[in-house]
Amino acid sequence: MTNNNWEIVHIPGRPPIPPSQQPAVDVFASVIEPKLANTIVRKLNQIAPLENLRHVKRVRKRCLEGDTQLSVILCLANKDDSELDSMPKDVLELVNSYQLNAFTTKVCKYSATSKEEWEEQCKLWPTSFHPPTYNIEGISGFIDEDSKMVFKFMKFVLQLAKSPDRQVVNAAVIIDPSVNQVIASACDGINSWDSPLNRNGIERSSFVHAEALPSHPLANRSSSPGKLLSNGSTDDLEKYYGVSCLHPWQWSQQKLSSQTYYWHPLRHAAMVAIEDSAARDRCLFPSTGHFYEESVPVDLLLSSTVGSPAKKSKTNPTKVINGVNAPTDSLHSDSSRPYLCTGYDMYLAWEPCIMCAMALIHQRIRRVFYAFPNPNAGALGSVHRLQGERSLNHHYAVFRVVLPEEVLGSVEPLVAETADSE
Amino acid sequence: MFADCGLGFQRFYVCFGDLGCSFDSLRFMELAIQEAKLALQRLEVPVGCVIVENAKVIATGRNCPTETRNATRHAEMEAIDALLEQWQRDGLSEFEIATKFSNCILYVTCEPCIMCAAALSILGIKEVYYGCRNDKFGGCGSVLSLNSSASEIPSIHGQRGFRCTGGVMASEAISLLQSFYEQGNPNAPKPHRPVVHPK
Repeated sequence: MTNNNWEIVHIPGRPPIPPSQQPAVDVFASVIEPKLANTIVRKLNQIAPLENLRHVKRVRKRCLEGDTQLSVILCLANKDDSELDSMPKDVLELVNSYQLNAFTTKVCKYSATSKEEWEEQCKLWPTSFHPPTYNIEGISGFIDEDSKMVFKFMKFVLQLAKSPDRQVVNAAVIIDPSVNQVIASACDGINSWDSPLNRNGIERSSFVHAEALPSHPLANRSSSPGKLLSNGSTDDLEKYYGVSCLHPWQWSQQKLSSQTYYWHPLRHAAMVAIEDSAARDRCLFPSTGHFYEESVPVDLLLSSTVGSPAKKSKTNPTKVINGVNAPTDSLHSDSSRPYLCTGYDMYLAWEPCIMCAMALIHQRIRRVFYAFPNPNAGALGSVHRLQGERSLNHHYAVFRVVLPEEVLGSVEPLVAETADSE
Repeated sequence: MFADCGLGFQRFYVCFGDLGCSFDSLRFMELAIQEAKLALQRLEVPVGCVIVENAKVIATGRNCPTETRNATRHAEMEAIDALLEQWQRDGLSEFEIATKFSNCILYVTCEPCIMCAAALSILGIKEVYYGCRNDKFGGCGSVLSLNSSASEIPSIHGQRGFRCTGGVMASEAISLLQSFYEQGNPNAPKPHRPVVHPK
């Protein structure tokens, strides 16, 4: 998964639990003759099925000094009574008839939720691992071509974040990975709110193809330079005072107002990007989506909308793997209109706060990539782990993109410069 | 909450009953319900809210993700935007606006979702009353408790919680949501699997 020190790390819904801390149960097991394995396993599955341990493999295969050794789980062991005669009668008979040497061992009680956890489990006794039912590309690794696009978009978002005319802020870019197209890009806009009354249309300039990404993109929002409150503190988080998701609660102590714009403490980069993607959708597909006209009877609405696939298929493996330049002719046709941001990826410089992380769930983002963790308020691994909340109706996969030193280095000096000029 | 979020509202909405609610909270929740009804008329998930300062309604909001195609446009966000705009028009500073929010009470027909609860914490609102619970997304006790993640006194990060009371006119809020799902949600995405109707 590395590419010249770039690395994409999947951040699972909950942290992997080391084997010593995973709940385990005791079982009776025995080494068996490989040629008897089929017969014994068949009988055991009948007389002692492992009902609540379906993730546990019945048979363990190990290589000991060139020989293959097979062990089989006989049955669950009583926690307090590991005497062999505590086995059910049927199992005991089987043990005696094959002259097995039963011993007790431990297996993990619950199935693994991540590859890391599964690897840990197998150190105790092999288990099977079924990746999450939502099949999102990347959880089990990226192919080179996909990694390259991920790094390219991450570079783009970092350039947005450190635009030279102001302090470092968070930046957010929404990508349609099936055609590698930028759907929306934005920076923290808490001091540049074009209030809805002043807004007219959207910035068409944000519709750029990956191939056309400028090497030094202009900040797409000309905001007045925010005040950097850092006074040379060595604390990194203090240095990045302009990153809204790092300091969501401190807006009232900042000077946000300017001549040109209103300010808005909730306009974090991700929120602004979502707003822009929604504006883009309204602009590209003006005729649809206005279901609320009171004159239209509801049953008519149902028949006219249920049939139209207003939704992009969630995962389209062939397209994602091969489709770097998939045709975009149909871009403006209604059938290509996704439901909100279904199927799209979000790139962020910093791990989002919980408000932004939940907004991305509402808007149906498919994957979130961020470069820097957010120990103050991060909601995707640092403080909360929203991707692991099972009650939510949508789940995205989360990845941290670890950057090579030279890319990091190009962010750092700029922060120092800004601080000096204060 | 958004369009198709409430499938199976038996599990989704839990009512605490209306006992013990003050006259004021019922009066303001009634206004929030009116907002929710306006949302319903526009085929939005019917959630509405009002923000109250010194016993006066200073902003209203209703859910409008369908119209805006922005799933973050919840009732709370609409009302918050209106206030921020008005107060800046009035020339208030960041500090003055923060002070004003810390004196405001939100009445909303459904428990604020995780996003809105976080937003209310960021703004430092004083207090929230809600109608029905939001078991899938609720940020004030159901899934996360962002209202009590700190205290009402700002922590080192400036993080603060807010007082929160659920169950105010919950049955009215639920019946509005029920009428929405009964009429069908034309904006929900097509189900991944065909819906099986019991015979």
